[in-house]
Amino acid sequence: MSEMNGFDRKQKQRAVSGPVAGAASLVIPGLGQIVAGQLRRGVLMFGAIVSFFVLFLWRIHLLAHREEGITAQFVKAFQRRPFFVGILTAGIVLLWLWNAWDAFSRVQFKKKRGNAIFIVVILIFFILGWQISQIDLYKMITEFPDAVPPLSKVLWPWKAAVEREKEKISAGADILIGCDETPPPPPEEMPGKPYVKVDPRCGTLSKLDEDNEIVEGTTITIYGRSFLPNSEARIWWIDSLGNEFRPRQEGEYAMVMTDSKGSFTYKLVMPYRLVPPSAKGPQIHRVEARQVISLGDLVIADPLRLTLARMAETIFMGMMATFFGIVFAIPVSFLAARNLMSGSWATMAVYYITRTILNIVRSIEPLIWALVAVVWVGLGPFAGIIALTLHSIAALGKLYSEAIENIDPGPIEAIQATGATRLQTIMYAVVPQMIPPFVSFSIYRGDINVRMSTIIGLVGGGGIGFLLVQYIRLLDYRAAGIAVWFIALTVAILDYVSAEIRRRFV
Amino acid sequence: MFEVKNLTKVYNDGTVALRNISFPVEEGEFLVIIGLSGSGKSTLLRCINRLIDPTEGSIVWDGVEITSVDPKLLREIRRQIGMIFQHFNLVKRSNVLTNVLAGRLGYVNPVSSLFYRFPEKDRNLAMNALERVGIADQAFKRADELSGGQQQRVGIARALMQHPRMILADEPVASLDPVLAHSILGYLEKLNQEDGITVICSLHYLDLVQRYASKVIGLREGRIVYRGSREEIRRMTDEEFKNIYGQEAIRVSAGKRERDG
Repeated sequence: MSEMNGFDRKQKQRAVSGPVAGAASLVIPGLGQIVAGQLRRGVLMFGAIVSFFVLFLWRIHLLAHREEGITAQFVKAFQRRPFFVGILTAGIVLLWLWNAWDAFSRVQFKKKRGNAIFIVVILIFFILGWQISQIDLYKMITEFPDAVPPLSKVLWPWKAAVEREKEKISAGADILIGCDETPPPPPEEMPGKPYVKVDPRCGTLSKLDEDNEIVEGTTITIYGRSFLPNSEARIWWIDSLGNEFRPRQEGEYAMVMTDSKGSFTYKLVMPYRLVPPSAKGPQIHRVEARQVISLGDLVIADPLRLTLARMAETIFMGMMATFFGIVFAIPVSFLAARNLMSGSWATMAVYYITRTILNIVRSIEPLIWALVAVVWVGLGPFAGIIALTLHSIAALGKLYSEAIENIDPGPIEAIQATGATRLQTIMYAVVPQMIPPFVSFSIYRGDINVRMSTIIGLVGGGGIGFLLVQYIRLLDYRAAGIAVWFIALTVAILDYVSAEIRRRFV
Repeated sequence: MFEVKNLTKVYNDGTVALRNISFPVEEGEFLVIIGLSGSGKSTLLRCINRLIDPTEGSIVWDGVEITSVDPKLLREIRRQIGMIFQHFNLVKRSNVLTNVLAGRLGYVNPVSSLFYRFPEKDRNLAMNALERVGIADQAFKRADELSGGQQQRVGIARALMQHPRMILADEPVASLDPVLAHSILGYLEKLNQEDGITVICSLHYLDLVQRYASKVIGLREGRIVYRGSREEIRRMTDEEFKNIYGQEAIRVSAGKRERDG
């Protein structure tokens, strides 16, 4: 370092004077340092100030893109974000001036130190980063209360895990449209069974007149008995074609509460319904009272059932991908082992090609491979298996080949010396040395694969991630929470088990 | 009758390890090769069973030219030559018995041996070999659980399984302490004297050489610079010793730390 400075000083004395260097840096940042012989410092200074300037202009433009002209944009941007724009403007101006002073003083006073300027550079980068990445701590705190309900559902989702079997209770009565013929008889009452009758048993439906005004139809009274006491019963209308719908009464769905004996009385204006012109003969409609109650046995609810099924799918995806990964990685690893391939230039070429391909495949994340595989074989677990297999082959191929490179040649020599054949040498000297790292790496990879297969569904690769992303989009936080819990549980168990197996085996 | 003639080895990187080496070995001899590290001792031993292919020269054993035999015959020659190593070269994760049985690989059925299946007769042979070197009770331990001296005895048992006519020992005691060194060389001497096995052994300590060798060859930079009989080695002068080990060498006994390898 001291040699460098001595060299610099000689250069400076010959090249320029202090004020010239300072002025040069004032015109083009870093120029003064460069002409003074400090190329790296100058380039760094130039790069920093220019990139600040460009980034700053970009942010100003984003903040005030409707304004015409740079000055107007700057003013508008300053009005919107005075703190950010102000501090950055000040920072850049300061840096610019400082850079000129730096060039000047370095030449004039032969100053050696002065790297504090780069702290300012880092600080400005940090401020820019804060704004560009839209960090908003205020929002994070003020909006926290809104996030509490969904978050608590995710954290403790078990309410959605089980539900009671639903029981449906319903009874109905027929109604004749138009009272020209004999109305249908009231239904027979069975003791203990829910029962509904209407009065009158015939009437006219609501209609639309010429001005599209509703003309109310007959008001019928519905009498219900033997329903579940003190609970709601919904009224349904079934027209002569069998279409079911819930009629509205003054904008609300028709609904009634039963009394303590399970009886109710409800007045309903017969709803508007177009009767198809082709319909001939007596038009019989039907009105029903229905109760849905959750009183049956506790059963596993859909989210839990689906989560379990998908979790099994996920684990098997990881397993299959690991299996295929191992099967293909073993031969590949031999091609990627330097000690096996160093025989001739041809084998070395194979070695380098294999290594390069492995590195490329490995550097592309499984999620991206899954996107490709989905295009190839369609949505579902198979796409995920392909993605994970590709990545596993690359990762295991590298690890295996390194294990092969690291085997101790001593035992090979010893077994060869006994007069063993090539195969025997491999079985007795190579395989025993390779099993521990192979098993260890394979289990480790299996662990990674199951973990990866939990999220590979996010891009359509099957498994639990597929379900999770659906639940999140449906805002069903409890169901999503169940999936998250199972992912966490599975990964934790797997982590422990794989570490334990590797510890014992190796 | 075993004879090495004009043996030369040049490695691919241009290193000349052996230069025109010739010597005969009588049946039942205990030949010790001495010399600095890098003087070519290990290369010479490995050329004999062709773990390393020599560049030039010939090695003739009972009229068979070892340097040019086909692979099948080479394996038959190798199985008659046991080899033990400085770092024992056991398969560490396999148990002791398997390591010893590996010495039998040149004799057994090549297919069934791939599945680690050996005839009952060979298993008994292995136990006998282990008994002979005094570690039959360790037969089912993993090889790396044994101490250094015990591991080298496993190495000897493995060589014994070959029913060898010759044993090559590449610095067999360099990783062991002096007491164990005598114990290991004692086993080799016993095999040499009781079974008539020819031993070619590289050693560092002069007093071990004087104690065990029936004939000595000194190597320096790939050349033979000393030849001596049992009597001559006992009268070896410091001058001769320095000629082999270089001017800075001092005589050290096996009890002390050696200098310059």
